[in-house]
Amino acid sequence: MLRTALLCVLLALAGYAGAAWLTHDFQAWTAEGSRRLEVALAPVAAPAVAIDGPGTPAQPLSQLLGDGRAVTVVDFFYTRCQTVCLSLGSSFQQLQAALQAETAPSGVRLLSVSFDPRDTPADLGAYAARLRADPRHWRFVRGADDAQTRALLRAFQVVVVPDGRGDFEHNAALLVVDQRGRLVRVFDIAEQELALNYARHLAGRGAS
Amino acid sequence: MKRGPLAWIGAAGAALMMLPPLRSWLEASMTLHMLVQGPLLVLCGALAAGGLPARTRARLDAWNAYGIAGLFGTALVFALLMIPRMLDLAVADLRIDMIKALAVVGCGIALRLSWRRAGAMVQGFFLGNMLPMTGAVGQMYQDSPLRLCNAYLLGDQVLLGQWLVALAVAAGILWFALLARALVRREDAAGLATRG
Repeated sequence: MLRTALLCVLLALAGYAGAAWLTHDFQAWTAEGSRRLEVALAPVAAPAVAIDGPGTPAQPLSQLLGDGRAVTVVDFFYTRCQTVCLSLGSSFQQLQAALQAETAPSGVRLLSVSFDPRDTPADLGAYAARLRADPRHWRFVRGADDAQTRALLRAFQVVVVPDGRGDFEHNAALLVVDQRGRLVRVFDIAEQELALNYARHLAGRGAS
Repeated sequence: MKRGPLAWIGAAGAALMMLPPLRSWLEASMTLHMLVQGPLLVLCGALAAGGLPARTRARLDAWNAYGIAGLFGTALVFALLMIPRMLDLAVADLRIDMIKALAVVGCGIALRLSWRRAGAMVQGFFLGNMLPMTGAVGQMYQDSPLRLCNAYLLGDQVLLGQWLVALAVAAGILWFALLARALVRREDAAGLATRG
């Protein structure tokens, strides 16, 4: 009986250690929660994957985001999306309206990245026009090919699941990338005001 | 104990299930992952446990009075597996998936070595903890408007939640029915003995 008790204590300790590791010390229970926590603790450099889009010449994403000029709020979407991307789109429209209303530019810009290999630059252009995107504030790009896109999704822990009907479910979020091209914070799509304030704060700090 | 072919089937089955074609198929949906791959791995462990030599088994039994350590360890592993991040990690990282599979096979071995020895009271305590936990997790999966696993669809999560609740209820009823039958039989036998 003593040995059984001893083994149970060891099992309990192992179980506790496993649970603490799995949940980042009981702070995050889902993969998405732990992704956001990990990014906040250790920024993720944007990978040098090739991207292009309407009005954006082909270049590595790390160069576009890390040009030192602005903090970027990034989202991932696909143009055929009828669900969560629509709310992402309206989030970004509100962000754009806030940026357009600024009297002095705050050094924040918006970038929407398509992960759908079907999306061509022309699709992106049409989508941008439909959302009345102002290219001074909001640009649209895609991975140059499927391998580039997948490398980018992996680096930023964006998980895209085909739903079998030609659509995708994905962990949509607002990603704040600093002037040096590092992903520093991930916000919920409903938190666009918080994301914008955070990006403005980063941009102000970078300029001073 | 004789090492029958069933023990080898259990061990080989577990290994086969972790190879690419079966692994990706069984982990393609949340429901398959938790309700088909999981129970099959437990079954493989239980079959493999039949192949343990009597000496090993006796040595393990010394650390497992009334099956308490085995059932406790199993409860801990099941609890960890119900953390949504575990499923995403297992899908994304083969190393973690291997550890998960070994732990679940270990639960199958532990259940086989512990269940009979536990008796109704320890079994009841084990199930009294496990089944409400399973039901609560199932209800949470049904109610959550958000996807808890990045790798799986929302509809899949709801389906899994419904199954978890149904299985928890069914397992509780089944265990209690078996217990009641055993008690009635024992009473009948005792009655015959005193009358005889």
